[in-house]
Amino acid sequence: MVRQRDRGFTLMEVVVVIAIFGVFLWIIVVLTSDMRTWEKKMPVNLMSHPMVSAVVSRVRKDVLDACGDCNPFPESLGGTEWSRGDRVLIVETMTDAGGDVYAVWDFSKPGEVTRMTFIANQEQSRWTAHGTPAFTVSYIPPPEIKKDPDAIEIKANDDKGKLGIDQVYFPRAH
Amino acid sequence: MQHRRGFSLIEVLIALAILAVVITMTLAMFTMRAKRMAAANETMLAWQAISNEVEYWRHVPYDALQKGTLDFKSSTEIIGPLAPYDAKVEIGDPNDSVKQVTISIKWQNGKRQEKITINRVHTGGNNLW
Repeated sequence: MVRQRDRGFTLMEVVVVIAIFGVFLWIIVVLTSDMRTWEKKMPVNLMSHPMVSAVVSRVRKDVLDACGDCNPFPESLGGTEWSRGDRVLIVETMTDAGGDVYAVWDFSKPGEVTRMTFIANQEQSRWTAHGTPAFTVSYIPPPEIKKDPDAIEIKANDDKGKLGIDQVYFPRAH
Repeated sequence: MQHRRGFSLIEVLIALAILAVVITMTLAMFTMRAKRMAAANETMLAWQAISNEVEYWRHVPYDALQKGTLDFKSSTEIIGPLAPYDAKVEIGDPNDSVKQVTISIKWQNGKRQEKITINRVHTGGNNLW
């Protein structure tokens, strides 16, 4: 005689398993929602993008090297199409050899930043960074600053409009 | 004799427990990583605000530095995600020719803090020391 025990789980067994699995799911939901809360709150770390940090570092160098005794951020660059604005920065800075050079930063193209240098209105070099956020430039008046010229502030938002970069640079005396 | 049966409840429970432990540990690792990334991101934001404030206070005339505690002069929009935060500037004068400007940001109820102290020296020259 063959006795076959062929039955499924009882209701109680299924309830116990589902309850345990429910607790487990609850832990997962808590952990992931914690993660999502952090992600929603914070802007994308734009500075971790190599091209973005390269742009910021180069702008900083240009401004720190800018002419301290004149207007370091001219309204326009004569003989060229470039005029200063919230998407275009013109800096009278210096070459590695110490000579005068105008650096023009073009932030107007989406996803792209271009730096051009001009000597006597002739373009000398051009460097472009890709995959960049939309930068804006503003010019800070110096209410409590004695001899130093205006400073600039560059900002960039991430895809969701959160401010990820806000840097103020003053030219240094040299 | 044919022995055909499914898993017992104990077997299923043990399998589920192992699965739960493995998945929870993996998720916990991801969460920890996300928190560390967020902490690094917070530090980055805090230092952007601090460096902007340093730029400002480096250029305030030496004689205009008065001992006391002040609010930030530069924009604090960048540290908005850290709210509630405490951003302040403390000016001290350890001796007649040196003033110290300490710029600090505290957030997460003071559990996290970044700060820097810059020394300003009265040189009488270009006002940049």
